[in-house]
Amino acid sequence: MSKKYAYFPGCSAKGTCRELDMSTHVVAKLFGIELVELENPGCTGAREFRAISELLHLTANGRILALAEQLGLDLAAVCDTCLLNLMETNQRLKSDAAALEAVNKVLAQEKLSYAGGVDVKHFLWVLTEDLGVEALRASVVRPLRGLRVAPFYGCHIQRPESVFDTSSDETPALDRLIQTLGGEVVCYDGASKCCGFHVVTVEEDISVRMAGGHLSNAKTEGAQCIVTPCPLCHTVFDSFQPQMEKQRQQPFGIPVLHVAQLVGLAVGLTPEEMGLARHWVGSDDIVAHLGGASV
Amino acid sequence: MNPSSKPTTELDVIRVSLFRFDPETEAEPRYESYEVPHVPRMRVMDVLDYIHETLAVDFGYRWLCGSKKCGTCAVTVNGTPKLACWEEAEPVMTIEPLNSLPIIRDLVVSRDPHQDGLAKLQPLIVRTEPYSGFPEPLSATDMAPSYHLRDCIQCLACHSVCPVLQQPDTGFGGPAQLVALAELALDPRDGADRATIAEEVTKVFKCVSCYECERVCPTHIPIVGEAIEPLKRLVYRRGKAAGAQRARVFLDVVKVHGHANPTKVAVKTKGVRLADLGLAARMVRRGKIKLGDAFLKRPAAGAAALRNTLEASEDSE
Repeated sequence: MSKKYAYFPGCSAKGTCRELDMSTHVVAKLFGIELVELENPGCTGAREFRAISELLHLTANGRILALAEQLGLDLAAVCDTCLLNLMETNQRLKSDAAALEAVNKVLAQEKLSYAGGVDVKHFLWVLTEDLGVEALRASVVRPLRGLRVAPFYGCHIQRPESVFDTSSDETPALDRLIQTLGGEVVCYDGASKCCGFHVVTVEEDISVRMAGGHLSNAKTEGAQCIVTPCPLCHTVFDSFQPQMEKQRQQPFGIPVLHVAQLVGLAVGLTPEEMGLARHWVGSDDIVAHLGGASV
Repeated sequence: MNPSSKPTTELDVIRVSLFRFDPETEAEPRYESYEVPHVPRMRVMDVLDYIHETLAVDFGYRWLCGSKKCGTCAVTVNGTPKLACWEEAEPVMTIEPLNSLPIIRDLVVSRDPHQDGLAKLQPLIVRTEPYSGFPEPLSATDMAPSYHLRDCIQCLACHSVCPVLQQPDTGFGGPAQLVALAELALDPRDGADRATIAEEVTKVFKCVSCYECERVCPTHIPIVGEAIEPLKRLVYRRGKAAGAQRARVFLDVVKVHGHANPTKVAVKTKGVRLADLGLAARMVRRGKIKLGDAFLKRPAAGAAALRNTLEASEDSE
């Protein structure tokens, strides 16, 4: 059963969080998921293009959708903010003929056009929905037994409600993933809140205070690590963790994992394959914990 | 939702843990438990009325219209701000005042921070062109950008969940003020310098884009997309504000490199600061950033076509 997707890594997975790109490819290969990386896809614009011009935002994202459509594939992203930009644009272009026409008029200069034939997914959903939790469970060789994992979803995989239907009582995909891999989901105040990444370059203090509060709550509930589907949240929780410790006068030492790395731990990948050494906060304790618990 | 909190038809009583606090006479808030006989289709406000009329006559809460118009009855129910007049009571409820506003007594909060903020926005249409006479030639298209914003009832549910307003001394106006400002800024009759107000008075670029405000808005206003981002675009077109500068640098970096480069965006937006060197050193040690990234100008292969496309769409407004 071959599953093939156009793959848009985004700037973090190609830069500050290259371990996300690495581990995603390794995990995808292991499950027979083919990721075809888009060539010169550009950028979804983070929160910046939207603050410049609406057409710029729609065109930059429409261009990525058009490139995926050229390949005849659905599109997989590994960053919450890219996901929201692409999903929101997709929704708009599929429902607003005038917007689609305006975008295609600009894309024509690159001989590109979009017809609305692509679905956008997070790689997390590719694993939990398209591949399915049964296939994931069957591949677990090192269950995350006794490992207390705090999920941190990130804003742009759950809000706004006009893009993400969160009306059902279904367990969130990230929680299901943790449970499937044998880990314990840590319930804490902050899992669905904001890390503040989008102001961190100009208002670091706001982000450090916000994320530090969530981290402190997770620690109080006994979290041994955090897992997040968003490399921007990862950057705040990992690279800025020393600032949070300083601001709160509280040691944390909580490693922060990408989705593919958490899967990698359970399916027996090595720390090198997952690029764990690229994080600021080391994961030795959780690797040792699982070593002790392995069968 | 916790299965135990789903409404059932056989429910006898509603169990309420109610926030009680009089800052003038008490040092700390307390929670009092009440049991209220359940009536089908009971609203949160009916529960509060019952408590006030029969169990605790000294209990303070506020409402006026009882029909989702006046915006005065918002309270926090099981952690989420809701209009008491509009939401069905849950079998077990912890009812507290809104967050981020001073408490006057029990569920009654002071609306002064919001009202004082509004007063600084020039909260009236400021005409800079002569009045054309009645009826003014306004079309639905003219008014469309601010159409949804006119649904705001200023209940302050959004204010209560905004994570930036929960941080000290940010100067951020918050979503309720930004909706009010955008309603004016997007009105074709208005000629005031709303860009300067958005940047200097409300500090619109401090919005973290978390969409918490939209999640709780009882009138479902697309606050981020239809109020905050249009205001950011106004500031971008006018000014040199830090947030606008970051957006400009971000776009320039994507045009040159074909993708974003957070290190370069950060350095070009705010320069190299001593305070950042520790973070930079950590990130270099882990291979997360390369020092050259911040300064080199390496056009990426294939970036030219992307640049032309971006340039063709950036000046549309």
